[in-house]
Amino acid sequence: MLRVTKLRYGFPIGLLLFFYLDGILGAVFPKQLFSYPYSMSSYLVVLWLVLSVFFEDQIHIPLEIWAAIAGGLFDVYYTGIFGIFVFVFPIVVALTRACYKAFPINFLSGLLVHFIDVTIVCTLSYVGNLVVHLTSASFADMLVYSLAPTLAYNLAAYVILYFPIQWVFDRLKN
Amino acid sequence: MNKFFSNRRLVIVIVCLIVSFGLMSVSVAIRNKRSTPPLIQQFGNDVVGLVNRVIAWPVNGLKGSVTGVSDLLNTYQENQRLKSQVQELAQTKVHDQSVSQENKRLKQELKLNHALTDYSPVNATVIARTPSSWENQVIIDKGSAAGIKKNMPVLSGSGLVGRVSEVNRTNSKVELLSNSSESANRFAISITNKSGSTVNGIISGFDNAKNQIEMGNITSKTKIQKGDKVVTSGLGGIMPAGLLVGTVASTGTDNYGTASKITIKPAADISELSVVTVAIRQAQTTN
Repeated sequence: MLRVTKLRYGFPIGLLLFFYLDGILGAVFPKQLFSYPYSMSSYLVVLWLVLSVFFEDQIHIPLEIWAAIAGGLFDVYYTGIFGIFVFVFPIVVALTRACYKAFPINFLSGLLVHFIDVTIVCTLSYVGNLVVHLTSASFADMLVYSLAPTLAYNLAAYVILYFPIQWVFDRLKN
Repeated sequence: MNKFFSNRRLVIVIVCLIVSFGLMSVSVAIRNKRSTPPLIQQFGNDVVGLVNRVIAWPVNGLKGSVTGVSDLLNTYQENQRLKSQVQELAQTKVHDQSVSQENKRLKQELKLNHALTDYSPVNATVIARTPSSWENQVIIDKGSAAGIKKNMPVLSGSGLVGRVSEVNRTNSKVELLSNSSESANRFAISITNKSGSTVNGIISGFDNAKNQIEMGNITSKTKIQKGDKVVTSGLGGIMPAGLLVGTVASTGTDNYGTASKITIKPAADISELSVVTVAIRQAQTTN
């Protein structure tokens, strides 16, 4: 089904665009995003993947594979430690799929799902970094200085981008 | 719950976990031991970095126009302040010129080609920042093609901001001073006090809350005062000497009361980086 719609170009382009925006926004607005001791990590690429689950309808995009590709690029290009996001992103997509099946998704319940997803991304990346001794921050520090600001940023991004992305998907599907 | 963790799923989950940990430890080992990442990773990073520049261009343009307006509003005050500094700078510059000429002549007499303080600068633009709270890392648009090697110091404006942690052909990653990971590089620094005596040591950490560098494990009895200048000492590795790190903010003893600890206010603003300079030491390297 993916082959006959414009989504076959549109989806990867959107994925790459949000992937790059994550890094570029950090470089362009470092004062706003990384004001010590708080740090907001931008996970717009996760937002794109989650919203793709919501809006794909009958068109089945192989989202887990795309998530693994995006996660692999994220690892290699941004962090330099391969093996964290390449697994975390597909987990998030699988979880969102499970939620999508379990209850009807609308703007508000989607916000809740995205909340859970970002929490999982943050926590698992913290655990990964802790294991390879790249951070020595305590779990409490992680909650206050990293998770809370990251959630605030990413949920704001969800609220702002939900309807524009829905519009884009509607356009691409026809 | 029983159904979710059926046998097959459980096996898959465990295999994924093991593979994930394996990959992480391999990449950390490569990062710590080798000077460049594997060729395939370099190639991937170069391709990704190329597109990064294309997308960063309009975003930077947008930001440039916004800051342009706010800069314009500040122009008058800034002009007043800078005028007073220019007078002072002209004198320093002339003095600096004559001193460096004298230095050059003396080096020739000693048949000394490159001292530890000599370095050639390579300017680079920051194209992205790692969206992670655990790695304070930026990506710059120059790589081994421009002569950059791993562990070289990176400067911004007036002082040291970090070191190169990974080099690809056309881009590289820079670990900032604020990176508090256990594997972060320790810079060799020295502090010279008013009476001219020097304390050597290494950077031992970064205080995120106060935005200050920490220098610990000092056993020297030399009196260090607030405001003393801290520079790189050039001892070991490929670091040139005499790069400004910051000024001493406070002195005290460490948590155990055995050695003294000095906190340093960084000279460069680590949180606002757009253009950086990589310093390539000209004197022979020790590793």
